[in-house]
Amino acid sequence: MTTCETVYAPNTYRSDLKPVWCPGCGDFGVLNSVYRALADLKCEPHETVVVSGIGCSSRLPGYVESYGFNSLHGRALPIATGVKLASPALNVIAVGGDGDGLAIGGNHFLHAARRNTDIAYFIMDNEIYGLTKGQAAPTTPIGDKTKSTAYGNPEAAVDPCALAISFGATWVARSFSGDVKGTTELMKQAIQHRGFAFLNIMSPCVTWRGDDQFKILRAKVKPLPADHDVTNRELALRFTNETEGLSIGVLYNISHPTLVDEMLEVRWKAQGDKLPPTRTDMLKAFTPDF
Amino acid sequence: MTQQLALSIVGSGGDGAVAAGDILAMACARDGLNVIKTEAYGPQIRGGESSCTVRISGKPIFAQADLIDALVVFSWEDFARFRSELALAPDAVVLHDSDDAVPDWIVTARVTPIHFPKTGKNIFALGLLASIFGLPADAISAAVAKRFAKKSAAVLESNREAFDTGFALGAELPVGAEKLAYTASSPKLLMSGNETSAVGAVDAGCRFFAGYPITPSSEILHFMAEWLPKIGGSCLQTEDELAAINAVVGGSFAGVKSMTSTSGPGLSLMSETLGLASIAEIPAVIVNVQRGGPSTGLPTKSEQSDLLHSVFGSHGDTPRVVIAPVDVEDSFHATVEAFNIAEEFQIPAIVLTDQSIAQRRETLSRDSLIHEVTSRRIATPDQLENFRRYAITEDGVSPMSIPGMAGGMYQTNGLEHDERGRPSSMYVVHERMNDKRYRKLTAIAKKFRLYRRFGAEKPELGILCWGSSMGPVREAIDILTMEGIRVAAFVPRILMPLPAADIQQFVDSCAQTLVLELSHSAQFHQFLRTEIDLPRSRTRVFARSGGKALSVTEVIQEVRRALARTEKLEEVLA
Repeated sequence: MTTCETVYAPNTYRSDLKPVWCPGCGDFGVLNSVYRALADLKCEPHETVVVSGIGCSSRLPGYVESYGFNSLHGRALPIATGVKLASPALNVIAVGGDGDGLAIGGNHFLHAARRNTDIAYFIMDNEIYGLTKGQAAPTTPIGDKTKSTAYGNPEAAVDPCALAISFGATWVARSFSGDVKGTTELMKQAIQHRGFAFLNIMSPCVTWRGDDQFKILRAKVKPLPADHDVTNRELALRFTNETEGLSIGVLYNISHPTLVDEMLEVRWKAQGDKLPPTRTDMLKAFTPDF
Repeated sequence: MTQQLALSIVGSGGDGAVAAGDILAMACARDGLNVIKTEAYGPQIRGGESSCTVRISGKPIFAQADLIDALVVFSWEDFARFRSELALAPDAVVLHDSDDAVPDWIVTARVTPIHFPKTGKNIFALGLLASIFGLPADAISAAVAKRFAKKSAAVLESNREAFDTGFALGAELPVGAEKLAYTASSPKLLMSGNETSAVGAVDAGCRFFAGYPITPSSEILHFMAEWLPKIGGSCLQTEDELAAINAVVGGSFAGVKSMTSTSGPGLSLMSETLGLASIAEIPAVIVNVQRGGPSTGLPTKSEQSDLLHSVFGSHGDTPRVVIAPVDVEDSFHATVEAFNIAEEFQIPAIVLTDQSIAQRRETLSRDSLIHEVTSRRIATPDQLENFRRYAITEDGVSPMSIPGMAGGMYQTNGLEHDERGRPSSMYVVHERMNDKRYRKLTAIAKKFRLYRRFGAEKPELGILCWGSSMGPVREAIDILTMEGIRVAAFVPRILMPLPAADIQQFVDSCAQTLVLELSHSAQFHQFLRTEIDLPRSRTRVFARSGGKALSVTEVIQEVRRALARTEKLEEVLA
């Protein structure tokens, strides 16, 4: 029992650790949005768990005053899944970079979405590997020169939102970290969504993608049409393959039973309104009772 | 009369060889006999050849049979595939289909052609065996009735008739076999090591299981999928072993006792997260059921070659606990102990078992499945004041909070971190934290000296072995002791931390030592040499590949060879 009232202000969620990010990094905007979203939703810090993998952006849990888990490269989602299933009352948020979530952790992304796992997942997409100093990521545009693509990236980039929608995520949105207010609003919706909510945040890496990234993105982003039907999957996918500009906002939002719902359903099927089984019941199959 | 019998039934899909073995084993369990039942299959997913071997005795038994005393074979072609696994005793009774000519490589004395009925031939065979060997016919008959209770009355009746007809025919056959000596006693449980491990986990308080199907460990996943939801737990089948172990670490971080089970290939994938659990100090239990390796290896056969991976695998300095059960009953205790140690010391614990223990079914007394359960030390309100999750302590164990606890917030980390969990790459912090984490192993070693020792007090030969090797070694020692040979065995049940002082004392008390294991590269011997002084001149190693169970005969042979060598040496010196 807490004796003093929690003050739900952005600063309540600010830890005493200073971010290690480069000056001008897009992730500062994301972090500010996280503070504001948690404050606006009055999330109890001790009932919030922020899980990450490895990468620049995966340092984020350390900067949030809550329970945090900075885990292994690519493994944020299975860890977050374990946390949520073990303790469904917790508010579980997974964060990380595009390399962490789409390359090494890509398989988990598919299955967390498919299961409609009750977590909010924020990818800070900078189209590059930053922590390892500038190699191509699955999101790096084709043709771009990076440290690992000396003659231009020979591989096509993937759109994270397209993957999420295809994999079965029930809430998918895109935002731009330069737009703190808009990102905050989308984070709030993601946290409140029942099921797997995926937010891809375009978060420029000024060190390895160039300091004009903010300018380029700011010119590129545009709101989704006001009449966009978020329940239309085909339409949502169309906005993951735009020839001009980059639409931000909620692309897709449907309602579907979540993993926790399904697990409760399994328990009901297993147990129904019967008394819990005894140890004798458990050993029955191994007991010669004839 | 004979003290023990090993009976094999071999057929193809539809013959019901395995079903007959199940019925026989369960019937013997009802009458309090001791049973070890093993199965073997061809590579086909369904159908194909299968064999079931049931060893039965009125006295305690610890290993599967070396030699088969009675073989029921519906098709010689099927039996041919098991030739290397099912060795017949010279005087074995062989009952085969009269339409199937006996191959010339069958050289046993008592080969009897049988005209098996078209339906229920497996139950007919049980009738034959029951009368020829004096097996508990009432119990078998009742087990048959139970097996077909849910089928139509006609099916039940035809099977009952098959048993009776077989029984009557058996009494007339002039095979002249010795009958089994036993007195019926109270019923026993019949379980596999995977099943006792799963029950142990539930007893220990495991309420979250995440796993990926893999032979030969999947029965644990199946059991958890059925039982955890009934008792308020959750079972998740993950996309791979990486997700399984990471979900377990997440579940445990969130305060629920969590476990996964796997086999070698899965353990390889889990290695990185083993390190995460170790540095983040999160309890996690992994049951690793060894099979032949490396790579896909021999998925359905036993081996003891994941030892070094289990005790040392994962990069960095990674303290973990490894417990190795020695039989089916012990798989229960080892799993509870793994939970107890993992939870108390906030450390990953591997239950290192193998296919032979995990998949054979053995009789055990219900009273034997009891083990004290301990839980993790949760941070007290005092400790939550100015909370330091990774506080440096004498035994290395720091107060742990659970998400949801006010005042217990911290960030856990796969990065090296300070006492509050904040990332740090300073040498001093790293050294102090490594030191703290390794102190837990010292504390565990002091508190959990888990081993079995049996045989002579001052042995001329001491055997060092581990895990499933214990069974045949124990039976071999009983036989050798009766011959007046002073031999003993030391079997560590905890391999990390190794009870080194106890092992050293044993080694020093033996005139010579024999290290015995199913690993081509002698992993156990290599491992022992890291901590134990094993004098070269007094140490002999018997290490071979898995794929075939260690036999009592092999152990006896190796002991004799070792002793003969000593005698020769003494002669030369004299």
